[in-house]
Amino acid sequence: MALSETTSLPVPADSVASNGFDIVATYRRFLQEDPDMTMPVAAIESLVVLLSQTEPTTASELMDILAKAVAELKKGVKNSISLSAGCDMFQRFVLRNIQEYGDWEACRRHLVKNGGLFLERAKASRYKIAELGLPFIQDDDTILIHSHSRAVTELLLLAARRHIRFSVFVTESRPTEEGLSSAKTLRDHGIPVRVIVDGAVGWAIQKVDKVFVGAEGVAESGGIINRVGTYQIAVLAKDSNKPLYVVAESHKFVRLFPLSPFDLPDESPAASTFTTEQEDDEIQSSPLLDFTSDNLITALITDIGVLTSSGVSEELIKMWYD
Amino acid sequence: MLAAGAHISKEKDLNAHIEAFVAQIKRRQIQGSYNVALATSQLLLRVVSAARWTHVDQLVTQIKVLGKRLQSAQPRELACGNIIRRVLALIREESEDTNDSESGDGAINSPLITSMFSLLSTNDEYGPNRQSQSLCDGTGRSIKKDLKPYIIEGIQELIDELRSIDESIASMGVEMIHENETILTPTPNSRTVLKFLLRTAQKRKFTVLVVEVFPNDVEKTHEFALKLAEAGIETTVITDAMVYSIMGRVGKVILGTHAVLANGGLLASAGAAMICQCANVHRTPVVVCTGLYKLSPMYPFDIESLIEVGDTGKVLEFEDGSLVDKVNVVNPLYDYVPPESVDLCITNMGGYSPNFMYRLVLDHYRQEDTTL
Repeated sequence: MALSETTSLPVPADSVASNGFDIVATYRRFLQEDPDMTMPVAAIESLVVLLSQTEPTTASELMDILAKAVAELKKGVKNSISLSAGCDMFQRFVLRNIQEYGDWEACRRHLVKNGGLFLERAKASRYKIAELGLPFIQDDDTILIHSHSRAVTELLLLAARRHIRFSVFVTESRPTEEGLSSAKTLRDHGIPVRVIVDGAVGWAIQKVDKVFVGAEGVAESGGIINRVGTYQIAVLAKDSNKPLYVVAESHKFVRLFPLSPFDLPDESPAASTFTTEQEDDEIQSSPLLDFTSDNLITALITDIGVLTSSGVSEELIKMWYD
Repeated sequence: MLAAGAHISKEKDLNAHIEAFVAQIKRRQIQGSYNVALATSQLLLRVVSAARWTHVDQLVTQIKVLGKRLQSAQPRELACGNIIRRVLALIREESEDTNDSESGDGAINSPLITSMFSLLSTNDEYGPNRQSQSLCDGTGRSIKKDLKPYIIEGIQELIDELRSIDESIASMGVEMIHENETILTPTPNSRTVLKFLLRTAQKRKFTVLVVEVFPNDVEKTHEFALKLAEAGIETTVITDAMVYSIMGRVGKVILGTHAVLANGGLLASAGAAMICQCANVHRTPVVVCTGLYKLSPMYPFDIESLIEVGDTGKVLEFEDGSLVDKVNVVNPLYDYVPPESVDLCITNMGGYSPNFMYRLVLDHYRQEDTTL
């Protein structure tokens, strides 16, 4: 790895407004420009850009700038769980370095200089996950995946490249219909796919050998926050004794301990209200995320190894309390 | 010239030794996790003593090749691969220790991604490295540590650990078994369980129900029960079919195992899975006694490939005549016990929940060695 090289990212032009820096716009821009970038990494990269444009004079000013930007980002983006994992990790990293070495200026320079490196590593970690998860897929397997996850797709594509023959059920995953794009990617690479509607999972589950899902965020309990529909698939999988594996990068571990989807930041309040009137955009206001508790998950395939759900809290504790 | 000749003959000697070992595990002259683990570590001791290398990577490759050979000779004796991986981890650790003290060389080993922070951190000039580097530069380079004695010492320690493993597990018995408790054990072939019970019997009075485990371990069951009875433990031998009906009276199920897998699942003697299920239904705690050498970094991807099928003659003898050509007879030797069925694993490192096993795996083996 060429660590000495400067690998900072090009700064999106419109994010540098004359009167100040718009972190939300930068974040959106990053996501738009690179479809392979995950939300936590985009958040980290945006914070790096912010650091490169500010000249704090004290360590606490640096932390203050970061805290404000993070708050702004969390407020400005609708679905903030995943990005908050990246923000939390970034803030924690800066704080720890300041505490341990006292040299916050060096820390800032290091982060600014290596902006692009984090992105590369995040992508590399997805490849590492695929390598670790590869033995989970065997010839003749029928796999069920839900919605679209970059990590799951990477794993399945690697398996196909290694000449493992398997077929995949993909759920349509309404209302985003992201399952269709997964199906297209897999089919483009010669993997036989059948798209089913979300309601047909119960019909298909007996034919399925294992279930793979991604995650927006992995909670401290080891449960996951993911596209709506994951929970019901997990319940069905548990009921018919099929293993459910979560494929996710460790930078998605987030310090939340939800017990139900209602403990998550509420993004579609309309979904839990009732009305006697016909509504036009009812489907659009339906929730996008749900929470799947750890007891339904067989194992988490991450870049730091195949973990049971208790491994997640251990990693988080290592980061926050060591 | 003479020295070179001696070296060649020594190498030949070693090769013959390896050949013999491979043949022995193939023929099952060495059998059972403990025996295999001990023999493997002794073989590795010889290999490392005889090996010559200029860079530690060469040694790692040599041992990996040997490991692959041993594993393919007897793929179901997981203990063999476990010991190889332990030794590989030992070698890597020793070599990294020296590299660290040798300043700049440490940077050659690219940092392993082990925790969440690895996304952000780098080992370039900022941070604590800077200081230590300037300290070491003058002196560090001149001392080139010879790793061999350290590795050999490490393997010796591993062998000592193996020898004392049953003792350290047995010492936890007093905490596990209450006075007048009824214990059921479905694995009478386990030395660990035997020592565990015998040691505990010195302090506690309890009853043991020994399951017969037809057809593979019937004789061993009788020997096992005899040894317990001789030690003054109230012992009853029961048939496999009785387990469910008697489970209501049982306080704990204690079993030995052939291997523990990375997810906390077990490979135990056939029948164990059923008995654990019975225990689960009755909410009877299931306790597993196992040495750390049985802990395998493998994940049960394909359960059927892990289960060995034994002599069918024990189920249906050839003399039984008329049935033989009309029915299929199978005699699996092992069962896969899922981690949900087990409540506690007692190892020589202490008692752990099965879903903590992945952590022990990460502590004792290196990820790059998982596939040899």
